[in-house]
Amino acid sequence: MRNKIVKEIEATFSNQGDFFIEEELVDQTKIFLIGFKTLVDLTKSKLYVQQMADSNTSVKALFINLNDRVNVDAKQLIKGILEGNLVIVSEDGKQNAIVNPIVQSLRSSVSEPKNESPIQSSTDAFGDDINTNVGMIRKRLTTASLCHCSYEVGDLEKRKLSMLYIKGRTPNALIDKVDQQLKGIKSDIDTIDDLNLQFGKRRLSPVSHLFATELPISAIHSLKENKIVLFLDNCPFALVFPNLLWDMLVSINDRNFPSILSFMLRFFRVIGLVATLILPALYVALVSVNPEVFKLDLALFVAKSREGIPLTAFLETIAMVVLVDLILEAIVRLPKSVGPAITMVGGIILGQAMVEAKLVSNLLVIVITAVVIASSSVIGMQNSLYIRLLKYPILILASLFGILGVCTGFIFTIIYLASLTSVDIPYMTFRIKKEGATK
Amino acid sequence: MTQRIQIEAVFIIIHLSFGYVVYPNLIYMLTKTAHWEVIICQALLQLMLIWVYIKGLHYFPTHNVIDIYLKMGRWAAIVFLTPFVINLIALASLNIRIHTEVIISIFLPRTPYWAILMLLFFISIYTALKGLGTILRSAIFIFLFVIPLVVLNIFSSVINFNIHNVTPGLNLPPKFLVDIKFFYLLGFSSFLFLGFMTSKTKLIFRQLFGAWVIVTLLFLSVVYIPLFIFGQDTVVTLKNPFLEAMDSIDISWFSFNRQAIFFGVLLVGLVILTNSVLFWMIGTIMQKIFKWHSSYWIIACAFIAFIFALVVPNKYLLEKYFLWSSGAQAFFMIIIPITIFIYGSWSNRGVRGHEEK
Repeated sequence: MRNKIVKEIEATFSNQGDFFIEEELVDQTKIFLIGFKTLVDLTKSKLYVQQMADSNTSVKALFINLNDRVNVDAKQLIKGILEGNLVIVSEDGKQNAIVNPIVQSLRSSVSEPKNESPIQSSTDAFGDDINTNVGMIRKRLTTASLCHCSYEVGDLEKRKLSMLYIKGRTPNALIDKVDQQLKGIKSDIDTIDDLNLQFGKRRLSPVSHLFATELPISAIHSLKENKIVLFLDNCPFALVFPNLLWDMLVSINDRNFPSILSFMLRFFRVIGLVATLILPALYVALVSVNPEVFKLDLALFVAKSREGIPLTAFLETIAMVVLVDLILEAIVRLPKSVGPAITMVGGIILGQAMVEAKLVSNLLVIVITAVVIASSSVIGMQNSLYIRLLKYPILILASLFGILGVCTGFIFTIIYLASLTSVDIPYMTFRIKKEGATK
Repeated sequence: MTQRIQIEAVFIIIHLSFGYVVYPNLIYMLTKTAHWEVIICQALLQLMLIWVYIKGLHYFPTHNVIDIYLKMGRWAAIVFLTPFVINLIALASLNIRIHTEVIISIFLPRTPYWAILMLLFFISIYTALKGLGTILRSAIFIFLFVIPLVVLNIFSSVINFNIHNVTPGLNLPPKFLVDIKFFYLLGFSSFLFLGFMTSKTKLIFRQLFGAWVIVTLLFLSVVYIPLFIFGQDTVVTLKNPFLEAMDSIDISWFSFNRQAIFFGVLLVGLVILTNSVLFWMIGTIMQKIFKWHSSYWIIACAFIAFIFALVVPNKYLLEKYFLWSSGAQAFFMIIIPITIFIYGSWSNRGVRGHEEK
């Protein structure tokens, strides 16, 4: 005969296919093992309970030894089952326990990074499991001042969230504010952007409050630079808060090289950033609005390369830029086996056929190629995407005002980026000071 | 520390943006020889005023200029600062209009000037609305982006120099000191914004001295480059001597045709930043005195400035008005630091007197 608690649990999960209630005999008393087959390895867990029962004299002792969460109410039991635990209830329903079971292995083990490619560095990357991720940090950063706060956020589902920081380094005001913001989360957090929106109004901004990294080494470096690292369950990224402009240009892996080389790498990233923003705009401005800027021979060369091309410089450029962005997006989405084909077709058609068909000029193809390569030189996929977006406003301004538009567009971009702050820390800060005073 | 560097960058940017258009013309009108005497005299006078200003501000460590005037009394603030705001509006509008004329004359001859005015006004207002932090942070980046190229331009002009154009180098006694135009000249050294940014950071005179030296050197170069290239007799006939001096440079390996274009484009950054500082000052003053949100004031005053910039009919009147407004600025530059200094030392003595009793 099933007791009240078991019936209540059974009623709750009556329409779940993978739900089980197994009866077991321990010391002439019947007990119920309850859980989800998909989350609990039933055979092994049964064996474990049997072995525990053999070594314990009474059912009561068995319950106490299995786990310290014994004799709780039905609500907690249901929560325990949902979390993937094994719940054991005695026949009379007076005793119960939530047991950490032998779990079904749903996780892949630590693997190599997919979105970043570190050079001369550890190649471990974060995985889906939040505990593994925090463990990876703890293993590399063995200090007592590393603090870890856990949260459960969300409306429909409770999603685990961890906040890590180094006590005594990260400014207290920053920790308090992030803590408040995480505690104040009401809605479900499905994506990084959902979390990002919790940190302030930036719905229309391309710049995120959070910098996602896959590499433990760079997460640790951020911690040491007085930042906060957030982990979201089932999200294989460390989310560094706040995201700074500097993160786009400087990576800790650069420092594996001699300092002059790391300086060179950073300098090239700055060039890449500026080139992505202004090169297409500069082409439009110099070709269509201000051709007199060039010396005569150069101006003639530019004019010659555009001979017989029916499109205006602006249309030509915008068409090419959009096409290239489409190709980049397509290559990301396509399976790895098809990607190279698209690259080849895109390369041949864009590089060769469009020039021969006199749709776009030779010079523009060179400019576009430079822009595509330059935009990928910055660190972080999302950063590369947002500077690719920011080049469009400058392009439009350039088509209206020529070289003045390029300059004002670039300055406007600087001013826009300078106006961004996350929790009072400006995006354009170089570093976060210990006491919380920021530039 | 970093805040101070940012303020110094703003200091240099504002001076250069005001300086390079009308400033050389005024100097050429004041004297025929020994132009450096005028510049150094003006710079020393400015340095003295800055010292008085900072000394006065140091009497009130957590206050900015508006707070100090409000401390004197609401009416004192209204009497001193409302005319100053009107002057700032005029200055902002004329500054943008003059630069628009320059931009049109150098590289956008077919574009209507209201379009360029709108573009510059929009970005300045946007920056002013975003507040002081944004202005200061972007100042550093604009400084790093513009100033090295300006310096490169200045150095590249050396190839056209003729040293005989500026002899003799000494002129005594300095008659220009009693000329009213010297007073106008003082209006180009705009340091009044310092007092509005100080409530959180304490200014240090020694650090501003460095910025002052850089500004003086830039002013010397702005005046002397056209002189070295054209000579005094030619230079007085030119409209924008510095830009035309830049235009005359021809470097064979440089792929751009005219250096002036390059230079004009760079200076747009300075103008935008300068105007955003002016608008921000207007916003803060009006908010503190009349308790209305500063962004409304900024938008309203910028609209007035835009209309004013639009209706000025020609370049002759424009330069005349600009001189008037910079003359008025010179007036405020003397009045504001001195009143603050006197009030500061007076109230400080009062406090000390109370403590002694």
